Amino acid sequence: MKINKLWLATILGAQLTFTSLAADGTTDTNRDADIEALKQQLRELGQKVQALESQRAAEQQAATNIANGQIQELDQKVRILARERELDQEAAAALAKTQPKLTVGPGGLTASSADSNFVFSLKAVLQVDDRTFLDGSGAKGNDGLLLRRARPIFQGTLYRDFDFVFVPDFGGSSVQIFDAYANYRYEPWAQLRVGKFKTPVGLEQLQSDVNTSFNERSLVTDLVPNRDVGVQLWGDINGGVLSYAVGIFNGVGDSRNTGNVNTDNNGEFAGRLFSLPFKNTDIAALQNFGLGVAGSSGNVSTTAAGLPSTTGGTLPGYTTDGQQQFFAYNPAVGAVQANGNHWRLSPQGYYYYGPLSLLGEYAISDQGVLNTGTGAQAHLQNTAWEISGGWILTGENASFNGITPLHPFDPRKGQWGALQVVARYAELNIDDDAFPVFSNPATSASAAQAWSAGLNWYLNKNIRMNASYSHTTFTGGGGAGATAPAFTTRQPESVFFTRLQLAF
Amino acid sequence: MKTFLKILLASSLAISASAKEIKLLNVSYDPTRELYTEYNAAFAKYWQGKTGDTVTVSQSHGGSGKQAQAVVNGLEADVVTLALAYDIDAIAKQAKLLPADWQKRLPNNSTPYTSTIVFLVRKGNPKGIKDWDDVVKKGVSVITPNPKTSGGARWTYLAAWAYALEANNHDEVKAKEFVARLYKNVPVLDSGARGSTVTFVQREIGDVLLAWENEAHLALKEFGADKFEIITPSLSILAEPPVAVVDKSARRHGTTEVAKAYLDYLYSDEGQDIAGKNFYRPRSEAVAARYAANFNQLKLVTIDGEFGGWKKAQQTHFADGGTFDHIYQP
Repeated sequence: MKINKLWLATILGAQLTFTSLAADGTTDTNRDADIEALKQQLRELGQKVQALESQRAAEQQAATNIANGQIQELDQKVRILARERELDQEAAAALAKTQPKLTVGPGGLTASSADSNFVFSLKAVLQVDDRTFLDGSGAKGNDGLLLRRARPIFQGTLYRDFDFVFVPDFGGSSVQIFDAYANYRYEPWAQLRVGKFKTPVGLEQLQSDVNTSFNERSLVTDLVPNRDVGVQLWGDINGGVLSYAVGIFNGVGDSRNTGNVNTDNNGEFAGRLFSLPFKNTDIAALQNFGLGVAGSSGNVSTTAAGLPSTTGGTLPGYTTDGQQQFFAYNPAVGAVQANGNHWRLSPQGYYYYGPLSLLGEYAISDQGVLNTGTGAQAHLQNTAWEISGGWILTGENASFNGITPLHPFDPRKGQWGALQVVARYAELNIDDDAFPVFSNPATSASAAQAWSAGLNWYLNKNIRMNASYSHTTFTGGGGAGATAPAFTTRQPESVFFTRLQLAF
Repeated sequence: MKTFLKILLASSLAISASAKEIKLLNVSYDPTRELYTEYNAAFAKYWQGKTGDTVTVSQSHGGSGKQAQAVVNGLEADVVTLALAYDIDAIAKQAKLLPADWQKRLPNNSTPYTSTIVFLVRKGNPKGIKDWDDVVKKGVSVITPNPKTSGGARWTYLAAWAYALEANNHDEVKAKEFVARLYKNVPVLDSGARGSTVTFVQREIGDVLLAWENEAHLALKEFGADKFEIITPSLSILAEPPVAVVDKSARRHGTTEVAKAYLDYLYSDEGQDIAGKNFYRPRSEAVAARYAANFNQLKLVTIDGEFGGWKKAQQTHFADGGTFDHIYQP
């Protein structure tokens, strides 16, 4: 703008000068020369103005270029910083994946290495029961509360393929180790378990304590081993379509939980084959239909420890749902010991579909026995069977491995958990040859028949409440006596059970 | 009882003999996502037609070195399809999941396709980048991933080194200076090739991306030829990404047969065609001819010829304390 004003002033000045010269009357020659000089000056001035303008534009362009370059440079720097931050965040996220994980939830407390090759879990089972014997007359079991199971469960994995489980029980009258074993998983179908664990024979026995339909397992479980020390090869083939287990154990009497050491120099073989033939098919109604067979065989040296459990009495024998002994090896003369071969066979199966559950099992326990007083020997073949069923009223699916309520208990939200009704019938028959040489027919029953019905309330995955009624009748027995089995068999047993279970 | 057992056994066998659902895990390097997405679908169709079995292949991608280490650390890959043989050698050596001579089990040293390293620049090539000399000029911002973690980055590093050797009468000192200048121009080191592509293409950082040839073509295809140009340098390296069955993992999963077939099929006409379609250089001459227009001709050195093989190259350049550690200071 300043230059434009200067240019205008110069032109005006030149015109005034020209007019003034003309008025003075100077010669034409001089005048023309002057005019030419002035024109020249004007041209020079114009060129200078143009040069100045060009210089100014160039300077402006240069300044703009510098500014753009700086902006671009800054933009790149900002982008680089943003990208570096992004990469740092990605690296932090990746690093987090390599850190050990600690989880607390319905499955208990679990600490795991980042790659899950090392896992340690703390779980627990607590069962507080009440048993009320309803028969008012005659001898009967004690009513009252019972700490049925109180088990911390320590389990985990080492080096990805080695699992361990350690379960002591503080319930009952003494502390016992129930499970203590290591398991190597080469493949799902090839695993090796060593230690103390459930012998693979009884189906109901193999079901987890927290998932059984009733407080106590049925009469059929009287005839199968509980836990034993041994080595077992086992696995699931084709995702569990076929499961197998075969092992060698110290050998225990029926329903016994081993005392952790062998009671003689002999062992016992046990095995089980179970199939869910339709598991991998699209036939939903049959996917949880399973059939199997299990058995065991072993020799027992002359020992009372090879006979059934003494639960509910002082001598080896079998117990009712109320855990009272209705049969005992209690001959009038002599004492009875296990002697010779003891084999068991148990066909078994279950069916789960939607809310429906069915479980059935048959067991034969064939045991060589010796009356040490008379020297009499025999092979007694005791048998038992059971069928149980359930129906979930609240829409959940039943399964062998438990029930997960769709709407966990929360009254504030109007949620009440899951309800299941259950029923069961079971029988146990003692070999006729047991009487009277190996058992007193006046006090021991030769058979027991039990039916049960109950209601299970699953508040959530961890807390469950049961209420059930069980009625057992006896064939034989019922004679005089102040102890089991006489007072047990004197009248039918009617028991009302309740339970509060906490398991995680 | 015998009848019961027979029924039980027969039922189990009948179910076992029916069509199976098989799962495979392919642990691969960064830029092969698109290749294997297409290939997996083709293989599943082929395998179902052949056997009736359904195959689902899961993919895992990342920097080749990182992926190899993940497998060593327990990621149960049935097959690995990595950027360079050294990474699979590491799996064989450190975790012994497959034999040391794994590379002899499939044709062409178990590399069903090849590739090379090219330049991707912004449209109009504002920095006038034509060859490796331009990449190391001051003021040129270069994007390439970290050779410590990325197989592609190691190929890139060696391609630059080979160019510098040729340009300087095989003077190793000058080659080192050259590559050091290159890495001075790198503002961000991603851990894998795909990350570098994101940096260059989506985050708009840098003047040139040193990229796998297939990755450069893919960027052009995905983000538009109006935004980028591929520059083929005068010299690069023949990159041979190998494939292998991870024997122990596959055996453990019962997938050995399918895993082998999965890799064999990469050499079939369909497998080679899919490689070509995804801008990898097919081994099959017939298929390569169909896609010849996608690949510019250039001088390609080989890892064995120029660097004495991967073992030596790794030890010299990329191992801890190697040349890269000397020339690159973050």
